[in-house]
Amino acid sequence: MIQLHNVTLAYQHDASALNNITLKIAKGEFVFLTGPSGAGKTTLLRLLYGALTPNRGQVIIDGQNITRLSPSQIPLLRRSIGVVFQDFKLLQNRTVFENVAITLEVLGWGRVDIGKKTMHILKQMGIESKYNLVTQRLSGGEQQRVALARALVNDPKILLADEPTGNLDEANKNQILNIFKEANIRGTTVVVATHDRRLIEQSHFRLETLIKGELLVEQVEKEKTRDNQAI
Amino acid sequence: MNKWKKKKPETIKQFKRPTLAGDGFGGRAGFFMSRAITNIRQNVFVNVVTIGTITLALLIVSLFLLIFVNLESAAENWSERVQVTVYFDKELSAQDQTLLNQKISALSGVSRVNYVTREEALKRFKSRLKGQETLLEGVRSEVLPTSFEIALKRSHRDTAAIENFVTVLKKIPGIAEVQYGEEWVRRFNSFLNFMRLLGALLGGFLIIAVVFIVSNTIKLTIYSRRDELEVMSLVGATRLFIKAPFLLEGLIQGMTGSIFSIFLLFVLYEGFLHNAGSFLTFNPTTSGLGFLPFEYVAGILLAGALLGFIGSLTSLKRFINV
Repeated sequence: MIQLHNVTLAYQHDASALNNITLKIAKGEFVFLTGPSGAGKTTLLRLLYGALTPNRGQVIIDGQNITRLSPSQIPLLRRSIGVVFQDFKLLQNRTVFENVAITLEVLGWGRVDIGKKTMHILKQMGIESKYNLVTQRLSGGEQQRVALARALVNDPKILLADEPTGNLDEANKNQILNIFKEANIRGTTVVVATHDRRLIEQSHFRLETLIKGELLVEQVEKEKTRDNQAI
Repeated sequence: MNKWKKKKPETIKQFKRPTLAGDGFGGRAGFFMSRAITNIRQNVFVNVVTIGTITLALLIVSLFLLIFVNLESAAENWSERVQVTVYFDKELSAQDQTLLNQKISALSGVSRVNYVTREEALKRFKSRLKGQETLLEGVRSEVLPTSFEIALKRSHRDTAAIENFVTVLKKIPGIAEVQYGEEWVRRFNSFLNFMRLLGALLGGFLIIAVVFIVSNTIKLTIYSRRDELEVMSLVGATRLFIKAPFLLEGLIQGMTGSIFSIFLLFVLYEGFLHNAGSFLTFNPTTSGLGFLPFEYVAGILLAGALLGFIGSLTSLKRFINV
């Protein structure tokens, strides 16, 4: 589903932000991307949804080499990718419903279907009662769920999340993680960038570590029992 | 939304392929229009500011146009007085009159030819010396010359054209003395040219200023909503999809602004302008300022719409490469 071959990317005047990254993520996989701040996690995610193009190397998403896409094809790529941003990027003066519905409006859905599907996903996220509130009046956890709803509402093939549990308490973290897991069960390939070790330890998914723009491959195999002990 | 509370899907069910909002150009246009109107309703303040700016800017331009158009028409009236006169010592026979009249009328640039008999000349002389008729005691019509008064078409009233015309005129046999007030025509024309140049300069600067102000205002309104542009781009909206509602919004703002400005101009005009400025004309029947002719009004409406549209287009360019 996602393949990176020898990807190198440098911002202007800077040492390379990503250095010779080769990474393969299969369809339906759940991958944690971790590493200290500034290691290039966000940059890597931005490459995957076509906000950046690498200086060198190839990025292949769902069979398409996105380094060769024309600017007019990037939007079409993004329609099959749901992204949850670190800062959510919600429209502050719009309602929850409008924030989520925008994904479907862009796809050209009709009003009735947008209404149904949006309320459905809001219910899944447990925030359907807030559909008519403007997002700036929501708590951090609720905003996070709106962002998730927006990313998942069109059943994307790929879900990218950047520090999705940044400022959340434990209960909220677990709920968010469960939502990711559910999406993964439905067949969505999930990539979560985080430096939250607890989040990673609670699950037993593949872990990729970025350090100073380079990738360390390590498999985290965890015993269920240790999980239980921790709880 | 009650419908939703009744149905409780236990598992995540796959939705069937959704119906699209509208297929083809018509459906899309309708969707963009409704989005544009929603945007305006959701950003009332920003829109009021933009429309207000466009209104004032266009009001200034149209006021200027109103004055300019009236000056032009006043100049038109004045230039009616540019005429060429051919004098004769003797009264012409009817045959000569028609012959010469035909020859003169055949020249290019002639709009009207009028024969003035001695009697007519005396009458005019008298009316010009109203109140001092005693001066004319003993003056008989025989001392006055007869003449042809030749009015010229508008395009032939500048100095060079008149001089050309006079040389051609003098070639007609029987015509000797020609007068056209050379000095006056020259001054009048150079004054007119000066006024036009001044008008074009002022108008040009005014339009540049207006375009600058309006495009910056629109830039600010779009800047205030760059988040929306970014989010739309990130969820996979095409450029057209992002731009179209904003362009329509700009178009609506521009048109609304221009309609308001024409309305305000009309109010100002009806209020006090239309009976001012009789000093501009010599002709008492056209005293007072006229309102803008229809083409100008249509032009201002069009300019407003274009201003909004192009303002949005150029501003969007800056923000849409998210």
